[in-house]
Amino acid sequence: MVLRRAAPGADGAAVQRPPAGQAGTAVGRAVPRSDGPAKVTGRARYTDDLVVPGAWYGATLRSTEPHARLLAVERDPDFEWSAVVVLTAADVPGDNVVELMADDQPVLAADVIRHVAEPVALVAAPDPGLARAALRHLRLRTEPLPAVLDPLASEVAFARYEFGRGDVEAALASADLVVEASYRTGYQEQLYLEPQAMLAVPDTDGGGATVTGSLQCTYYVHAALARALGLPRDRLVVVQAETGGGFGGKEEFPSGVAVHAALLALRCGRPVRLVYERHEDLVATTKRHPAFVRHRTGVTRDGRLVAQDVEVVLDAGAYETLSRVVLSRGAIHAAGPYRCPNVRVRARTMRTNTPPNGAMRGFGAPQVEFAAELQVERVAEALRLSPAELRRRWAYRVGDVTPTGQVLRQSVAAVPVLERALEASAYEAARGRSAASRAARKEVTASPIAHGVGLALGWHGAGFTGRGEARLASVAGVALTAEGAIHVLTASTEIGQGARTVLPLLVAEALGLPSGAVTMPAQDTARVPDSGPTVASRTTMVVGGLLVVAARRLRAEVEARTGQPFAASYRADAASHGPTRVEERFGGYPHIEWDDERHVGDAYPCFSWACDVAEVDVDLDTGAVEVRRMTSVADAGRLVHPLLAAGQVEGGTLQGVGWATLEELTRDEGRLRQDRLATYLVPTALDAPPIETHFVEEPFGDAPHGAKGLGELPMDLAAPAVVAAIHDATGVWVDELPATPERVLAALEGARVEAGRAAR
Amino acid sequence: MTVAEAPAAVVRFSVDGLPVEYRGPGGRRLLDVLRVDLGLTGAKEGCGEGECGLCSVLLDGLLVDSCLVPIAQVDRRTVRTIEGLLRAEPAERLAARSISGDGQVGLAAEPGSVERLGRLQAAFLEAGAVQCGFCTPAMVLAGQAFLEARASRGERTVPAEDAVREAIAGTLCRCTGYVRIVEAIRAAAPLSAEAAVPPDPAAAALRPRLVEAGSGRRPAPPVRTAASLDEALALVADGWRPLAGGTDLLVALAADATVPEPLVDLSRLAELRGIGLERDGAGGDILVIGALTTYAELRGSPLVAERLPALAEMAAAVGAVQVQARGTIGGNVATASPAGDSLPVLLATDAELVLVGPSGQRVVPAASFFTAYRCTALAPDELLLRLRVPLPPGRHVRFRKVGTRRAQAISKVVLALAWREEAGRWRDVRVALGSVAPTPLRAPRTEALLDGRGPSPEVADLAAATVVDEITPIDDVRSTAAYRRLVSGRILRRLILHAS
Repeated sequence: MVLRRAAPGADGAAVQRPPAGQAGTAVGRAVPRSDGPAKVTGRARYTDDLVVPGAWYGATLRSTEPHARLLAVERDPDFEWSAVVVLTAADVPGDNVVELMADDQPVLAADVIRHVAEPVALVAAPDPGLARAALRHLRLRTEPLPAVLDPLASEVAFARYEFGRGDVEAALASADLVVEASYRTGYQEQLYLEPQAMLAVPDTDGGGATVTGSLQCTYYVHAALARALGLPRDRLVVVQAETGGGFGGKEEFPSGVAVHAALLALRCGRPVRLVYERHEDLVATTKRHPAFVRHRTGVTRDGRLVAQDVEVVLDAGAYETLSRVVLSRGAIHAAGPYRCPNVRVRARTMRTNTPPNGAMRGFGAPQVEFAAELQVERVAEALRLSPAELRRRWAYRVGDVTPTGQVLRQSVAAVPVLERALEASAYEAARGRSAASRAARKEVTASPIAHGVGLALGWHGAGFTGRGEARLASVAGVALTAEGAIHVLTASTEIGQGARTVLPLLVAEALGLPSGAVTMPAQDTARVPDSGPTVASRTTMVVGGLLVVAARRLRAEVEARTGQPFAASYRADAASHGPTRVEERFGGYPHIEWDDERHVGDAYPCFSWACDVAEVDVDLDTGAVEVRRMTSVADAGRLVHPLLAAGQVEGGTLQGVGWATLEELTRDEGRLRQDRLATYLVPTALDAPPIETHFVEEPFGDAPHGAKGLGELPMDLAAPAVVAAIHDATGVWVDELPATPERVLAALEGARVEAGRAAR
Repeated sequence: MTVAEAPAAVVRFSVDGLPVEYRGPGGRRLLDVLRVDLGLTGAKEGCGEGECGLCSVLLDGLLVDSCLVPIAQVDRRTVRTIEGLLRAEPAERLAARSISGDGQVGLAAEPGSVERLGRLQAAFLEAGAVQCGFCTPAMVLAGQAFLEARASRGERTVPAEDAVREAIAGTLCRCTGYVRIVEAIRAAAPLSAEAAVPPDPAAAALRPRLVEAGSGRRPAPPVRTAASLDEALALVADGWRPLAGGTDLLVALAADATVPEPLVDLSRLAELRGIGLERDGAGGDILVIGALTTYAELRGSPLVAERLPALAEMAAAVGAVQVQARGTIGGNVATASPAGDSLPVLLATDAELVLVGPSGQRVVPAASFFTAYRCTALAPDELLLRLRVPLPPGRHVRFRKVGTRRAQAISKVVLALAWREEAGRWRDVRVALGSVAPTPLRAPRTEALLDGRGPSPEVADLAAATVVDEITPIDDVRSTAAYRRLVSGRILRRLILHAS
């Protein structure tokens, strides 16, 4: 395997590494994925692939109304109910709550239905056909209640934040130019390709259960099971099966699915399999929060940024889930990576009678960065400055202060990623070409294809917000077993991103061993400590950092005992001394001060940085946008595994392109209209552009390995880059995502009408 | 025969070189037989309606969505799965291998052995084309099918990136951005045909593994494979529903929770196959296309490419490789969806449909076939036998589809334009559209306007303005009436401008 270290402009991933003295160690070289052979041969077992003799099939009865009083769950007397098991809210033995941040979401709706597709009853049957038939013979007797479907009309906020610096109103009043615009972004479905799936096996005494499933966060599921089943935690085991993608969709949602499966299994006294079909998965699961963002930006005539006023509204849906923290991350990133003395951010997340929205890759940042970046483009146009030049002037440097008052002390790569992207994409030359193509478009028989190029610069706070990491106090460890094997002990899950390759690689490096010498056992709550959820781009940075420290301690301990290098002595040490297990608890990064109430202080230990350049063709006849090429430059600190890192950038970039152009979800009276893969469209290989990935490496000094978060960063910037390119091609602004052909054409038509009016 | 009397189907086929005998409903999905009955779980269910491609396997060498293949249609055919995609093995080892109930085939004994991987599988690992792995089996098979087809044509070059993208466009990946998958497939080329599981004489002597239908997520209707046209007609007259490629029908069955109707499988009827030329009474050529002709066959036919390239272009715009391998033009016509991609081409080319019923054959012009939303002139006891497309000399045909995306797309507007040119003027103009009314339709006023004129920018503008008044599009989940109206005019205008 060869990573091309291509000169800028070559195709494929060009990974440039600093000449730092890493030679001879595994990190930074592409070792093969540990889960690769099983995955390419079809041997990898996902939840629905597991054969469990005698397992019954679970199914979920869901509401069809957005808001109603639930009077009864009625059973058709003509159906043979003795052949199946039916459960309702009354059958939940513990608290009727899906444990998460707020205790507002029931396991099964009890008295009130608050959104379409809310689970109300559960069925298990020996055969999936029978389970389906039973669902058809249950009826919900309800009394409709008025539904709030528009977040801007909602009066209930799950969370509000207001913070900033300086005097925004005064600065806006004295600015030479104030640019004001509003932006909207739509839902996005994670569309992990493996639908939600859980398999619950009850203990023989009925006092506990093992739940195996498709999930990102074993310990979230563990806590939810204990709470709803009313069972002690030590009688519950959660195991992650091979998981077919998550992207946030398997962060909090699987907790409810697991509780449902376990309730049925304990009631049936036999294993129960609860696997969603795609239709159910689409209508019932969490999505990216739709957002409304308003910007007022004050600048001087010579292009200095003097004021930013940003208002953010997120549609939370019917229950809080993670909306409070999604909003927090969105608010903190809302002004973009730009130095500004006067900033105000006001943000709120509103309750509506729609299925709750939740975690999705980016977690509030893609919505606000879309708005912030288009706002920069607008200001550049108003000032007749190159968008690249404006960003070059405004972008954060070390020592700058963010809207929460955080001083950026280290690892700030906004300008390096920008310059690298401009160079790799030949951005300014491409802008010149689109101007020429606009001029050539006067001919009636000219091609209807318009070319454009667009730029977006962004940042993504690495790890949990504020004191989140310190509060979690994650534990991860390294074990030298009595047999002389070395195991990584962590609850961090493999969801495709490569945790099962990267974490052993970091440990192997710290121990001075070849990468294959370290393995990561299954994510089983009975065997691994709680190293926190696999979310927030935290696994490599936070958990990886803990593991490096734990491995160094293990190495020192063994070397002290044996007086020899670890690699030469650990097997003998294991044989003579027995097993050694070293655990490391997260104690907080230095210098972090954070006030969660006021949103003031060090929001993140560090930020990762990225810059995307999109080149598009717009068909002026149809409004169809074809993304021709993406250039994506990312800084995630020191790279542990450049090949896997490039894979993260490519995949996240395409999800951004999909969200920008194709992926549309709308509701009709709270009901999802795009409820099948024939209507919810994600990019196929033919819709996907070539994606050229480059890395800049600005190490994070407070992590032992210098790594920062990467997973979410690539999701943040593709959409604004694509929409900026559409503007470059056509001259029209599309302020609402996705930029479907219908929206682009409407904008073009609007501009034509405007031009016609102006001409008269 | 009523449904209750329909016997369980007995289907004999081979999986990865080993014989299997299945007993159960003929309408059980191949996907369920593989995953549940045989324990071969490499094929995944991602949507159950042919949109995601994760259940792809090779059926007689063609990549198909196994969720859209009723097992009855697999009789006497060969299936290859990811589990069987090993480097060629000695016959004795193959024979010693069995497909056990837990699906542990071959490789299980040697986990992690890269040595035993096929060339393409190894290329996936090397290129970093694997992330969550859920699409990987299907992606590898899509690449394998593509590379083997190239090898069988003697192509030994590295395939173009676009060709690879097209080959995998029916299989979704949400992790990788496709970049490294494309790279892996290109890196594995040329892939010689020996990489495939070889036909093994020892395997033929093995007793078939017997399996019975287990549980399934979808209702499985009985299927009777018609051995003759008469048998098919008798069953249709009894209310059995005709089954061709299944790409529409199995999706409809999946959405319908009630007890499914019995199906009569037409796939073995030779009368419904083939592409050929006939002469009409006046000595003109007629392109004759059997109803069971797949989109892949239309795309691959030298005759179609030469005489009616717009039809090949249409076929290439349908779904993606898996749907093109199974979907038939007869099915497209008989389903009569207003969005059916082939229908405007057939309307614009004055195609005729040959129907057969108890009292013999009759011919219906395409122009009078589509009677209302998803209703046709086909009587309940009739079958569509073949299509006849006249090929008048000097006729030009253009096709344009505006779909929801670049592959696996349902049309928002589909348009076909045909004309003959006489001294700079257009004659016999046909304008036909889909997705803009309850049925596919012709636009007679626009045709009349264009007839006798030349393709100038002014005429193009007039035609565009006229056609929008001849259609009645609606707002639906795929687009809006306003968009369809605007775009119908614009693409017609563009086709006329391009012709000038």
